[in-house]
Amino acid sequence: MTTNGRLDVRFAGAGGQGIVMAGEVLAAAALRMGRSAAHSKAYGPASRGGASRSDVVVSDGAVGFPLVRRPNIVVALTDEAYRKYGHDHADDAVVIVDVDVAAPRNGALVAPIVETARRIVGTDVASGVVGLGVLSRSLDVFDVDILRGTIAERVPAALEDANLEAFAAGREMVG
Amino acid sequence: MNEPRLIRGNEACALAAIAAGCRFYGGYPITPSSEIAEHMARELPEVGGVFVQMEDEISSLGAVIGAAFAGAKAMTATSGPGFSLMQEHIGYAVMAEAPCVIVDVMRGGPSTGRPTSPSQGDVMQARWGTHGDHPAIVFAPASVAEIFELTVKAFVVAERTRMPVIVLYDEVLGHTAETVALPEEVTVADRRKPEVEPEAFLPMLPANDGVPPLPAFGDGYRFHVTGLVHDERGFPSDDPAVAGALLRRLHAKVENHRSEIVDVATSHLDDADVVIFAYGIVARAAEEAVAMARRQGGRVGLVRPRTLWPFPDAEIAEAVRGARLVVVCEMNLGQMLLEVERVVAGSVPIAAVLRGDGEPIDPDEILAALDRDMEGALP
Amino acid sequence: MTTTAQVREHLRGWAMPHVLCPGCAHGIVGRAFLSAVDDVGIDPDQMAVVAGIGCSSRLVGYLDFCTLHATHGRAPSFAAGIKLARPELTVAVFSGDGDGLAIGGNHLIHAARRNIDLTVVLFNNEIYGMTGGQAAPTTSVGAIASTAPRGSVESPFDACKLMIGAGATFVARAAASEPYTLARIFADALDHEGLSFVEVLSDCPTYFGRYNKLGSGPEMLAAITRSDNRIAIPLAGKRSIPTIDPPDLPPGVELGTLHREHRPVFTGRAGGAT
Repeated sequence: MTTNGRLDVRFAGAGGQGIVMAGEVLAAAALRMGRSAAHSKAYGPASRGGASRSDVVVSDGAVGFPLVRRPNIVVALTDEAYRKYGHDHADDAVVIVDVDVAAPRNGALVAPIVETARRIVGTDVASGVVGLGVLSRSLDVFDVDILRGTIAERVPAALEDANLEAFAAGREMVG
Repeated sequence: MNEPRLIRGNEACALAAIAAGCRFYGGYPITPSSEIAEHMARELPEVGGVFVQMEDEISSLGAVIGAAFAGAKAMTATSGPGFSLMQEHIGYAVMAEAPCVIVDVMRGGPSTGRPTSPSQGDVMQARWGTHGDHPAIVFAPASVAEIFELTVKAFVVAERTRMPVIVLYDEVLGHTAETVALPEEVTVADRRKPEVEPEAFLPMLPANDGVPPLPAFGDGYRFHVTGLVHDERGFPSDDPAVAGALLRRLHAKVENHRSEIVDVATSHLDDADVVIFAYGIVARAAEEAVAMARRQGGRVGLVRPRTLWPFPDAEIAEAVRGARLVVVCEMNLGQMLLEVERVVAGSVPIAAVLRGDGEPIDPDEILAALDRDMEGALP
Repeated sequence: MTTTAQVREHLRGWAMPHVLCPGCAHGIVGRAFLSAVDDVGIDPDQMAVVAGIGCSSRLVGYLDFCTLHATHGRAPSFAAGIKLARPELTVAVFSGDGDGLAIGGNHLIHAARRNIDLTVVLFNNEIYGMTGGQAAPTTSVGAIASTAPRGSVESPFDACKLMIGAGATFVARAAASEPYTLARIFADALDHEGLSFVEVLSDCPTYFGRYNKLGSGPEMLAAITRSDNRIAIPLAGKRSIPTIDPPDLPPGVELGTLHREHRPVFTGRAGGAT
C-alpha cells in the first residue's frame, strides 16, 4: 500500500478483454482481505469495443475519493488503451503492458497477456485474469488464494480450471 | 449491519427503495439510471410489487402519482432529458400532494449532452424546473452508502409531507461500486390516514403540520384530486383567497418539516480559514482535498449539504462564519454558487471550482484553486 | 336504464352548478355512464374515474367516486398507476378528442397495447371546447375552427381504427343522441376485462356548432342520423369526410361494438398476465 494506505489500480484494454471482471475481482478480493474498495468503469460505447478502463481503489480504511487518480498500478492490454488511459500514472507506478503496447515507459513489464489468454482459455475475455496473475506477483499486496477463490466464483464453471491456469500463467510471467 | 459488500450506486438506490416500502416503479430507460429500473423489474414482483415500463418519462411519473393515490409507495428514476419531461408531473405532484420519489442520475447536458458522463447540471432544474411557485425537496448523496440512506429518507419525507421528493446524484455515483454495509433495518414512514368518517372527510383539510391526511382510493373515502387550484373539499376554485392560502400552505408544510429534511455535514470547520462548499461526488474530492491540505498545514474545512432544497441557509451561513475564503466546487458552471453567494452576502470572498465538461472534479484541482485564490491557504 | 334518482346518488350535488355549456351533450354521456355503473353493480367506493384536461375531463369532478383530474392527455398513465397498484378497483378514463388523440395519443395507444384493464371514454366533439374552439385531431376536413378559419385541411383520426390497431380489446362507437344504446355499450365496456375504448360522438354548440352554423345543441343532436350500422354527424352530411370513408359508403362512420377479443391483461406483477 502507499503511504496513505491507498492503492489506485487501473486496468485498460479493449471491450471484451475481461478488464471489468478483473477490476471487480480485485475489489472483491480486497474486501475479503478486510480492506475497503471502490470500482468504476468506462460506460457507453467504450465498453463495447475501443479503449476502455476498469478502475479499483483499495484502501486500508474507508475509501475517500472513489475514483482512480494517478494509478499506482496500470495493467494495459492494448496500445490504444495504454495511450488513452495508461500513461498518466504515479512516478513509481508498477506498469504492466501487453506486447501490443508500442511504446511503454521504461521499466514496464511487457508480457504476452492476451495471447496467453487465447492459448489457455481460448478467448480474449480471460486477458484480465492473466493480467491479475501478473499483478499479483508484481507486488505483494493481494492474497493469492483469495484472488484464486474470487476468480473461481466469477467465471463459468466449465472455464474455472482454464481461468485458474491462465492466472497461474500470468504469475509465471514475472521473473 | 450486514457484511460489507461492493454495491453500485444505482443498485443501492433500488435496494433502498424496496427497503423503504416502495412497491410501485414506473419508468423509462435512460442512461445512466437504467440499472435502477432493471433492478426493480427483477425484484419488485418478488415482494408483491408492480413494475411497469412506461412509454416515456411523462407517463412514468403519471403512473407513479396514480399508484400513490392508490396507496402505494411509488418511485421513478431518470436522467436529465427524462427529468425535463417529468417536470410537468412534478408540478402536479406538488399541487395534488402526491407522495412519491423521483431519482435523477445526472449526466452531461444540455439536451442529450454526454450520456455516460457525470454532471451536476440539474440542481437548479430540480428546484425550479416545473412552472409556478412551488416548494421542492431535493437530497444529494455523496456516496453509495448515502444513496441508500437518502433514498430511504426520501420515502420517509415524501410520506410525511405528501411531496414529490427528488434524489439527485450523478453518473459516477450511479455506476461506481463502493464498500457498503447495508443496515439490517431502516426507518420507514407511512402517510397519515384520515381519522374522521368518510362523510366528514375534507380531503385537503390540513393537519397542524400543514399536511392533509391521505386515504387511498378504494379505502371508502370518495374524493377528488386535481391540479387546479382547489379548496379544502379538493374541488376547483377560482377564488384568489383560496389560491393564495393553498400556495402558502404548500410552502409552509415543507418549512414545518424543515428539521427532518435539512441535513448538512461538516468537517474541520473549527479553525478553518478556507471553507469548501461541495455536494455529491464533488464532496468526495473536496474531502480528499481537505485531508491533503491539512497534511500540508492548511486550515481548510468542508461544508457539504446533503439537502440541496430547501437550501440550508442558516447552516451554510454558520459554516462560513470566520472563514477568509469560501470555495464552491460543483460540476456545472455555477448553479449552487448563486445560493452560496446569496447566503454569504458579501461577508466572505467566494472562489469557485467549476467544471462543465462532463469530467469529475479531482482533489488536485481544488487544491490548486486554494493556492491560486488565497495566498497562504496552503503554507 | 337507471332512474334519475338513482343516477343522482352518484353525483356530488354540493359541486353543482357544473361548468358545461347549455346544449352540451357531455352530461347525457355522463348520465349514461353512471347508469351503466349501476347496471353492472360496481361499488362506488371501488370505482375510480380519471380524466385529463378539457370539458369532458371536468365532468369527473361531479361524479361521486374516487376521481382524479390529471394533466392534459396523460390520464391513461395515472389510470394505469391506480389500476396496477390496486387491481380491485374499477378504473375508467374520461378524455376529449384533443386530450386523448393529440397531446395524449401516445399514452392512449400504449394503454391499449398493454391491455390494462381500463375503460376509456373518448368524448369526440371535433373541437377544443375549453380553450375556445380550436381545431382538434378529429375536426372534419372543411370544418371551421378558430385555428382553422378557412376550414380544416388536415385529415382527422378515426379513433376506433387507431385503437383497434393499437391493441384495444374492446372498441365501440356510439352517439350522445342515443343514450340508451350508449349506456348498454358502457356496461359492456365496464364488464370487459382488458382495455375497453368507447368513442362517443358528442356536440359542442358553443364553438363547433356556432362556427359551422349547425344550430343549437338539440338541433345538432337531432341532426345526427343513423342508417344501418353507420352514423352521420351533421357536418358529414354537409361536407363529407372523404379521408376516412370508402367511396361506396355514405358519409359517416361505423357505429356499435366494432371489435372484441380476449388477450392477456397486463398487471405488472409476478405471474404476469391474467
